[in-house]
Amino acid sequence: MTEKMVFVDTSLCTGCRACSVACKAWNDLEAEKTQLITSYQSQAATTPHTWTYISMHEKYENGKMQWLMFKHQCYHCADAACMKACPSKAIYKTESGYTLIDHDKCIGCGYCTANCPWSVPKVDETVNKSFKCTGCIDRIENGLKPACVSTCQPGALHFGDRDEMEQLAQNRLYEVKKEYPKAQLYGDAIMGGTTYLYLLLDRPEIYGVPSNASIPLSLTLWKDLVHPLGGIAIGGAAIAVVGGVFANFALGNYRNRGKEVAESQDKKGGQ
Amino acid sequence: MKGKLFRFTAGTRIFHWIHAVCFILLGLTGAALVYSWLQPIANIFGGIQISRDIHRWAAAIFTISIFVFFLLGASGRELRSWAKSSFKFTKDDFAHAKNFPIEFFGGHKPFPPQGKFNGGEKLNSMLMITGLLCIAISGYIMWFASSMPQWLVQWAYVAHSGFALLIMAVFLAHFYLGVLHPDSNQALGGMFNGYVPEKFAYEHYEKWYNQVKVENKNT
Ligand code: HEM
Ligand code: SF4
Ligand code: SF4
Repeated sequence: MTEKMVFVDTSLCTGCRACSVACKAWNDLEAEKTQLITSYQSQAATTPHTWTYISMHEKYENGKMQWLMFKHQCYHCADAACMKACPSKAIYKTESGYTLIDHDKCIGCGYCTANCPWSVPKVDETVNKSFKCTGCIDRIENGLKPACVSTCQPGALHFGDRDEMEQLAQNRLYEVKKEYPKAQLYGDAIMGGTTYLYLLLDRPEIYGVPSNASIPLSLTLWKDLVHPLGGIAIGGAAIAVVGGVFANFALGNYRNRGKEVAESQDKKGGQ
Repeated sequence: MKGKLFRFTAGTRIFHWIHAVCFILLGLTGAALVYSWLQPIANIFGGIQISRDIHRWAAAIFTISIFVFFLLGASGRELRSWAKSSFKFTKDDFAHAKNFPIEFFGGHKPFPPQGKFNGGEKLNSMLMITGLLCIAISGYIMWFASSMPQWLVQWAYVAHSGFALLIMAVFLAHFYLGVLHPDSNQALGGMFNGYVPEKFAYEHYEKWYNQVKVENKNT
């Protein structure tokens, strides 16, 4: 399949949360008790059973209040930090650009949660498996749109081929910038390019997301430096131990044990 | 005991073996998480989830035993002075430690008289104490990751993994010298019944040997 993309046009989002409900319905995710986070926002983060939610940000300018909406879910990054972090090779990328978790391989360690810049995947402790948005891979591979996209009334969500969506995003940015000079795209310049591309009316920080999301430096050090160096240290020590046993054997130190240990060693020692 | 010198109290010996067992369990169950191809190690314990649980149980016992045995009467004093003396690395210790590679491969070179712990042992102790402290702190951060700041958890992985792999290498050398090395493994008795051969003590820890001889005369 060609590379796909979801374009999230936050300028059109009304914060109705139908996407959240459609996601639960299609993916058979149980309802969770929610509480108000700020004004109308009802969910603070993704959970094992809530894969997408809307955060609402109130912006005040010249005595006027403006709603800024943000749809959160897995971004399906090209350089997926979660995949690099996974010790079980449970996370993989599809040709179409999606990041998926193989639940047969997942062991529920939560390394993915800690290393995703947005902490998207969440481990269900009762089954020790990590869950997150699948991009509705089962729908799109059968020619349907993702559940969230097909339910969105104001047309804030679009699904299609990657280049098509990128073009649409550029066009919308051009339009929206006339009224919102700070408008910008979010996703094209981070994590090697994300599969969910956003049009924002302001800086990402205003929406509570990092503008410079990247693979954590610690993750690269951990997997690409510490692991190989550690392996070399242990391998080196093991070789030294085997070498030591052979050397002592060759020097006759095992045979002479119990006899004049000190003497036999003084004779051989240090040459 | 004739021809033997008392070296370690019962508490110290029990502590040593609790730590040894926990360490091997922690090392094996931890290694199963380093690469996916190492995951089959977990099958020794009956699967990855049991293996992960064992890592946490062993970690808890490992930590609690430190507090218990370091505070306990006689062995507490002994352990505290061991830890303290390990970080007092003198010129004589250095002179011993620099010949370490020669001793390791079965040779011998004279070294200045050593105290209760020689330079090589002090190096091992320093690495073990520092390493295990960092491993324990980072381990608890990883254990309770969901209530920790994300950056802290991310760096805890680096520290835990790095020190764990380093200390496993140190452990291999420690195991070799304590069990396999024909000369230095005479110390092993010290960790079973508490006594080491007098002659061995004289050759390896001359300062300590003289000190114990004087003390024994006075009592
Ligand atoms: C107080 C002691 C310790 C605590 C609290 C602790 C805790 C942890 C935790 C929570 C994990 C994550 C594993 C999971 O979620 O299944 C872990 C991983 C690991 N632990 Fe420990 N641990 C301790 C001591 C040790 C020791 C002594 C060693 C080595 C001898 C060790 C080696 C490892 C390794 C190699 C990993 C995997 C790291 C990686 O993937 O690179 N741990 N530990
Ligand atoms: S958003 Fe997080 S979970 Fe999704 S692909 Fe990127 S790093 Fe992985
Ligand atoms: S929780 Fe599962 S998917 Fe996430 S890093 Fe661990 S094994 Fe991989």
